[in-house]
Amino acid sequence: MSGLLNIRQLTKHFGGLLAVDRLDLVIPEKSIVSVIGPNGAGKTTLFNCITGFYDIDSGEMEFAGELLNGLTPDAVVRLGIARTYQNIRSFPNMSAVENVLVGMHSHLHTGALSAALHLPGAVREESEALGKALSLLEYVGLKGKADTLARNMPYGEQRRLEIARALASQPRLILLDEPTAGMNPRETSETTSLVKRLRDDLGITVLLIEHDMRVVMGISERVTVLDYGVKISEGTPQEVQHDRRVVEAYLGRGAAAGLESPATA
Amino acid sequence: MIASDVRQGLRSGMLLAIVVVFLFLIGATTTIADIFANALKQDRGVSLQAVLGLLALWAGSQAAKVSLDEKRPSWPRTLLRAGVAGLSSGLVIGLTLLLTLRLHEQGINLRTYLYQLSPASLDLWSLGRSPIAAALFHVLLPLVGCLVGAVLARGFRDAPWRGPASRRMSAVREAITRPLANAARTRWGRILLYAALGTLLLLLPLRLNNYWNFTLGTVGIYVLMGLGLNVVVGLAGLLDLGYVVFFAVGSYTIGLLTAPTPHNLMWDFWIVLPIAVLLAAIIGVLLGVPVLRLRGDYLAIVTLGFGEIIRVLLKAEALASFSNGPRGIPSIAQPTLVGLPFGSDRDFMYMIILSVMLVIFLTNRLQNSRVGRAWIAIREDETVARAMGINTLTSKLLAFGIGAAFAGLGGVLFASRSQFTGPDDFNLMVSINVLAVVIVGGMGSIPGVIAGAFVLKGLPEVLRELDAYRILSFGALLVAMMVLRPEGLIPSTRRRLEMQEARAAESPPATPVAPVGRGGAA
Amino acid sequence: MPESALPARTRKRITPYQIAQVVIGLGFLAFVAWRLYEVLVVERTYGPDTWLKFAISGLIIGSVYALITIGYTLVYAILRMINFAHSEVFMVGAFAGFFVFEALKSLPVGTGEHAFIEVYPIPSIILGFVAGIATSMVTGVALERIAYRPLRGAPRLVPLISAVGASIFLQNAAQLMFGPQRRTFVNLPALDRNLGWTLTVGEKPVLITYTGVFTFILAIVLLISLYLIVQRTRLGRAMRAVSENKQTAALMGIDVDGVISRTFAISGVLAGAAGVMWGIHYGQIHAYVGFIPGIKAFTAAVLGGIGNIPGAMLGSMTLGLIESLGPGGLGMDFQLKDVIAFSILVLVLIFRPSGILGEVLSEEKL
Repeated sequence: MSGLLNIRQLTKHFGGLLAVDRLDLVIPEKSIVSVIGPNGAGKTTLFNCITGFYDIDSGEMEFAGELLNGLTPDAVVRLGIARTYQNIRSFPNMSAVENVLVGMHSHLHTGALSAALHLPGAVREESEALGKALSLLEYVGLKGKADTLARNMPYGEQRRLEIARALASQPRLILLDEPTAGMNPRETSETTSLVKRLRDDLGITVLLIEHDMRVVMGISERVTVLDYGVKISEGTPQEVQHDRRVVEAYLGRGAAAGLESPATA
Repeated sequence: MIASDVRQGLRSGMLLAIVVVFLFLIGATTTIADIFANALKQDRGVSLQAVLGLLALWAGSQAAKVSLDEKRPSWPRTLLRAGVAGLSSGLVIGLTLLLTLRLHEQGINLRTYLYQLSPASLDLWSLGRSPIAAALFHVLLPLVGCLVGAVLARGFRDAPWRGPASRRMSAVREAITRPLANAARTRWGRILLYAALGTLLLLLPLRLNNYWNFTLGTVGIYVLMGLGLNVVVGLAGLLDLGYVVFFAVGSYTIGLLTAPTPHNLMWDFWIVLPIAVLLAAIIGVLLGVPVLRLRGDYLAIVTLGFGEIIRVLLKAEALASFSNGPRGIPSIAQPTLVGLPFGSDRDFMYMIILSVMLVIFLTNRLQNSRVGRAWIAIREDETVARAMGINTLTSKLLAFGIGAAFAGLGGVLFASRSQFTGPDDFNLMVSINVLAVVIVGGMGSIPGVIAGAFVLKGLPEVLRELDAYRILSFGALLVAMMVLRPEGLIPSTRRRLEMQEARAAESPPATPVAPVGRGGAA
Repeated sequence: MPESALPARTRKRITPYQIAQVVIGLGFLAFVAWRLYEVLVVERTYGPDTWLKFAISGLIIGSVYALITIGYTLVYAILRMINFAHSEVFMVGAFAGFFVFEALKSLPVGTGEHAFIEVYPIPSIILGFVAGIATSMVTGVALERIAYRPLRGAPRLVPLISAVGASIFLQNAAQLMFGPQRRTFVNLPALDRNLGWTLTVGEKPVLITYTGVFTFILAIVLLISLYLIVQRTRLGRAMRAVSENKQTAALMGIDVDGVISRTFAISGVLAGAAGVMWGIHYGQIHAYVGFIPGIKAFTAAVLGGIGNIPGAMLGSMTLGLIESLGPGGLGMDFQLKDVIAFSILVLVLIFRPSGILGEVLSEEKL
């Protein structure tokens, strides 16, 4: 089976540390796939490899028929992959709408000259982009916040702003790095339903790293478990939940032996 | 309790002592006293004491200051603090003075070591009395000053007119800018405002004499360079300490191509002007390619190195056949307009005003465009900016090139106006001056840069007496701005949407955006 | 997906940057090779005695740089910032030494026929160094307290600009106080800068000055003691901990502010010693005397790998040798030696930003 994103034998190490070890991963189009694993399992490294921030050591990453190996981050974005960050990384001194406009960068074409001279094409493009940005903010539930500086927004709103910014690049695949980290239950459920809508309304494929098992179990069709850079289990949430190796990775060998139904935190 | 009062008093006292002794050593108190004396038609000695008294008042109010979590101290404790502050500072100042005056009395020429301690200035401090008497006086002055300052500070703390200064400031600013902003929101209002401003700028140089045209012209050139560096530092967040390089490229291009020596090319000003600007931009990009991958602080040092290299190269005798070496280039051409000479200070004032307006127009457009947003995104978080699809290297090169072009333009105007350029015009201080203009005005803020240039280049022209302390105060200002008000005099406001929405309403409605995510991919 | 559907394709990433790298690198090598050939083979401009003189002066200036370089490296390791005003800490130390020597020169001893500096030459030197070191130390600590500490945690550009401001301020304050003219250091009776041992190389004399040897040895001693402090003592351990992670260090009960203060104090001590040495050996100081050595020392820090103490020493010696041998070797004007040093900085940053001994900095954590 061939998915939207196909990763084969991906390997990345830092000095002596093997961060990702011969990983195979297939993300079918319009699916929601979760990557879970203990801290240091190589999940964020995987994201950095896909988005071109790390040079990989070996293996192949193919997205919609294009090879991602060796592409720079900006080229990866242009192919249609967007991401959010584990620690919030909105642009703090830009307003919400400007954050989203930066996300549109690769789909706008105004160059320095036409912008400086205020040519009609540049003006039209700018006002269209602004309209789109405002409606994206509305889509993630930030209507009326367009002028607020990102650093003045509460935590949950900044997370949603990051998602809006990622959507602005018109991605086919969006990588979400712990989108509900640090959220209260209400915010978590709002964000969960937002992630579902991304797929259901917009047809975007979602790959997410998540620690909150309720979120993982609630929305993902498939789950991949990493430990020390190695894929130790893969399948539907239910299958993974009952996999002895997963329990061992999370709780240690001894603990796993004494537990019947783990991982449902 | 008492111990903490003594400590706070000592802290204010030492601060006062350090300030006064420092001002004494750099000769600034005498200079300030001169200014006071001229302005108020007073005796210089009295003026000096007035200045010292004011400083002591300030220290006294500092000593009496109460932090937020502290209960207001009783009167005796307030006086204790002020007394400690006054006495401790008085002792330090008095002893310093006693020592210097005694040495002076013994016929030792202090100026060999401490340059500012001329006999005249020492006489001013000693009030014509014996060292002991003078020292005693300078012990008492801060003591009295501190006590009075503390009493005043305590007494007036709750006075109704003592609102936070910033609030009053912003109320004033609001009263001025609000009507203007309202007017600017309508099309006719804008046209009217621009017309008024244009007329003012057109008439201004006619009303000014040559001195003021020259002085304001220099301010204008610094506005020009400040706006250029603002693109690099303020928007893209790249600390360039070698900005003088591009100023030099502009100046030397016009010099080498239009002057009789050393190459005798004698090209026309108007032909060379675009060449120089373009060349500056190209050199900006070329220098940028190897260094713009570096992190911020490395970039600062490398650019600083570039600034030094260009000065050394221009000065080198080895290259004198090309650049005329340390002698510089005289008789640089000035522009002509329809066959008539166009090179007076007033004519240049017009050219500078025009250039500044052009540059403001361009940078204003740029910073609110896709390009400008990319710069700001890089400044805020370079990694994420890349993840947003921004090619950070080309964006930075563009910022560097544009900044360089503006500096090149400034260099052309500068060299052509004074008809001379030489290696000494291009030292580190030029870069620092421009940087200070940007920082003090407000990074990323166009009105800020203009205000910064007027404050830093214009004020010193007015206060000629303080010229010796100009660069010193630039340094202090840079530190103080970073610690107290890093956003600058007129901070950049992020663009408000209101105006945008108004404009969007004028133009045809934006395309419906319901299926945003997919764009054309579906 | 069948395996055959995935032929092993790789895409080589050739950026304009790499092209620039290659062009600059080859151009530089070609230029150096051509000049060296001209000077060494064709023209034979200098004899071995001259080369030895160049090398010796390179080692001496290198050891002065090393002491300053350590200041940049230590502060960088702990705060990840370039202490731009460090060159002024050096300058202040030189002036303090100058004033002490002047005072001792005019201070009569006993019957008043001889000055203190003539009667007690060695204690005079020690007093001079103590004054220089103390002044630089206080300046360094005050600098951190006033200009850097309030800015901790601010964006990187902010403390950097503050440091530039502090540097400008100190330079100009010194110029206003001490006057614009150059000052000539007292030529110490015990360490006359014109005397030394004479070697004979190819029948020509080569003078190795006492001050030069003294400078070199003192620098080595100070650097080794510094290395031992950082590696062996409690303070050193605390410094290394703070440099790794300030929050964690604070949680472990380390007084982070205190450690940072002491780092600036140590940097000041070394810079002060370097300042007095500079005066004794080179003889002339002025308010801007720190600027060029400061920027050179920074270059040396980058060359050796910033944040790395042995790297700082190695980088300084290398830079000292390059700039003293360079103009001769390339047959260039000696005015251009600063240009050579700065070009080295640019080249290092292009080809190996982590320096000779520096570890390759991993990409920023995402």
